[in-house]
Amino acid sequence: MFTLPLNLAKLRRWRTSLLIFLSVVGPGIITSNVDNDAGGIYTYSVAGARYGYALLWTLIPITAALIIVQEMVARMGVVTGKGLADLIREEYGFRMTFILMVLLLLTNWGNTVSEFAGLASGMSIFHVSRFISVPLGAVMVWLLVIRGSHKTVERVFLTACVFYVAYLVSGFLARPDWESALLGTIVPTMNLSTGELYMILGLVGTTIAPWMQFYLQAAVVEKGIKVENYRQSRLDVIIGCILVSVVAYFIIVACAATIFTGGHQQINGAADAALALEPLAGRAASALFALGLCNASLFAASILPLATAYTVCEGLGFESGIDKRPHEAPVFYSLYTGLIILGGLAVLVLSESKQIPIILFTQVANGILLPFVLIFMLKLCNREDLMGPHRNSRAFNIIAWTTCIVIIVLTLFMVVRSFFPEYVP
Amino acid sequence: MIYFTELENLPAYDAKGEYLGRLVELAINPSQNSFLVAYFYVLTPQKKLLCIEHGWISTISVRAVQTSVPANEIGSSTPDEGLICIKKDVLDQQIIDVNDRKVVRVIDVDFDIQPDHKQTELRIVAVNVGTAAAARRLLQGLFAKHRIRTIVSVLPTQTIPWEFVNLIESDPARRVKLRISYNRLAQLHPADLADILEELSRDEQRSVIESLDDETAADAVSEIPTRMQVALLNSLSAGKAADIVEEMAPDEAADVLQELPPETSAEVLANMEAEEAEEVRELLGFEENTAGGFMTTEFIVLAETATVEAAVEALRNFSGPVETVHSVYLISENLELTRTVPLARLLIADRDSRLGDLVADPPISVPFHADKKTVISTFHKYNLLTLPVVDDNGRLLGVVTADDALELVVKEK
Repeated sequence: MFTLPLNLAKLRRWRTSLLIFLSVVGPGIITSNVDNDAGGIYTYSVAGARYGYALLWTLIPITAALIIVQEMVARMGVVTGKGLADLIREEYGFRMTFILMVLLLLTNWGNTVSEFAGLASGMSIFHVSRFISVPLGAVMVWLLVIRGSHKTVERVFLTACVFYVAYLVSGFLARPDWESALLGTIVPTMNLSTGELYMILGLVGTTIAPWMQFYLQAAVVEKGIKVENYRQSRLDVIIGCILVSVVAYFIIVACAATIFTGGHQQINGAADAALALEPLAGRAASALFALGLCNASLFAASILPLATAYTVCEGLGFESGIDKRPHEAPVFYSLYTGLIILGGLAVLVLSESKQIPIILFTQVANGILLPFVLIFMLKLCNREDLMGPHRNSRAFNIIAWTTCIVIIVLTLFMVVRSFFPEYVP
Repeated sequence: MIYFTELENLPAYDAKGEYLGRLVELAINPSQNSFLVAYFYVLTPQKKLLCIEHGWISTISVRAVQTSVPANEIGSSTPDEGLICIKKDVLDQQIIDVNDRKVVRVIDVDFDIQPDHKQTELRIVAVNVGTAAAARRLLQGLFAKHRIRTIVSVLPTQTIPWEFVNLIESDPARRVKLRISYNRLAQLHPADLADILEELSRDEQRSVIESLDDETAADAVSEIPTRMQVALLNSLSAGKAADIVEEMAPDEAADVLQELPPETSAEVLANMEAEEAEEVRELLGFEENTAGGFMTTEFIVLAETATVEAAVEALRNFSGPVETVHSVYLISENLELTRTVPLARLLIADRDSRLGDLVADPPISVPFHADKKTVISTFHKYNLLTLPVVDDNGRLLGVVTADDALELVVKEK
């Protein structure tokens, strides 16, 4: 009992660091969770449905890569106090920025379409027509951002993060074979079948996207995090990246335990996975899966257009910010509103088969954009005049460059394949 | 008129017509002439950077730059810290437009060519931020220059004259060398200055704030959103932060300190003058979102038995901004608020009459724990400019002013 005063002091220190952590938490966790959007959930479901527990191990290197990339942008945000688009504009000029911003706009429009499509299919499980769910979702998202204050928006977003628990629960409800799951997690296996290879490419592509880097850095800057508190901010990023993978893990496990084991491996959408769960894992698991999908889609549909509008305006020098009136920041508001309206309309007007070209096109734009973003990011993160003592160390650079080059090669492979499926194995 | 986009990469030739290299950078020497391009930097095919002084330039056109000296007389050097480099320091960077009071990102820079029998001078005219400049930069190199000029001529152009351009430099040592001062910013209305600050990154905000006098800085900081105030004060040294917080109205100061991390807040308070710190500390004791949290402790209070003369004297010695005073408050022997006397009444009264005898308004007040709604509705109902806040025994604690009440209404929406 003599150690009590010491423990108290320790406890107080702990409390202080917890308080600092809570004041910087948000950007990393929110960004990562948007990453588990409709497209992500679909990819994870297919991975589980087709290959069972076999690809679970890939989540470990993917998480590591995600942490490496996200940590750099968060660090740049904290140290320079400027967004990534700002830095790219200042270093690489107007034309390069313009091209990147156009690509980003296209990619994120495509992503917004897939979010609304995810919402529509998730709600269809609950027998709600897409002609009701999509317009309603779009209006909700728009109002939240335009009418809500910064604090409410962040709180709503953080609450939405909690709803990802739905996937954890449905993972357990699916009564998976934990032994095989564990085996699949720690023993890397690869049949080198082309199907499996592409599945892995899909998993990487859906997890590491260009827009996230812009959004995360801007969010870190917006939060005004001090260099002294960078450690807590890094923790926020790391926790966020791990959360993404935990959610992805449970989605794969749920689908592996039911759809893969049950023998029907063909699913064509995230909502299909929810439907396929029902006879095998029960109504509750299926409903939770669908609920998770709606939540994720809505969440991403509100952040993506907003992040895009912010980034484009930042890079090209237009006024931006939700605290400005529409006539003060016309470009910002038109981009934000336009993305939501065009994203929602595409889902209402086009049938599912007609949305495929949009998705393909988005993937290509994404594949062109990502290498530029990663390389610029790495170069900026090595600049002494910008980063000072916080620039990349040599050891970190080796890891970071290797990671980025692997990601770039994988992404380009995906792009080539979607154009010329017959020439690529 | 010639644009930087057109000048960049122009071939340069020496007096004998021999090719020197490509023009890559222009520099202005602000300690001599802040408009004249003093140095032209040319990159040779051997990757050497030649520095051509302005007196050596004989002609400049959209096709080439020609020097009046032979190649062997031109030395090579890189621009030093004391020069403003157009490409590095101006192009694509944010600048403050002091005339229109906003922050913009430069797309292109406009120059004037001034031929003078043997030499030609290049003078900077304006920075360009319009659609035309954007199109010019996108098209540069894809079409011939005269064709670009024709295409671009139909687009709207928007320029800021160089004399209204305030560069932003966050390194204080270099700022001195470049003779960048934010004096002109100090003359702006604090609300406009705050709008400008909001557009800048944290380091840039700090550099502007540090160069302003404490009072101007405090006025501007009071106008920026609380989240940004917190980040900004956090990045300043505790001493400078204390200097600024001291100059802020006590209620504003308390609001910011409340949001700062407890240690930083304590450090700032410790660095403040004892009297100001005490005032702020008192306010910090009240709950947020109650009348106590909204009120300021800068007001004038007198005994009922005091004379009008004493009230005028109190007004003269008032520590806060005198234009915020609309009434003086009278208290009884046991410190209870008894009356509110509008300033106009003092003006028309005899100097030696007792304040308690003047025609006064009945005292409208709210308890310190009154919520936001009560405060707003009381203001509205009694058409007040200031609202006294009292404790449970009716003793005067502070005053909520109309501007703070208006802010509550705006935030409510």
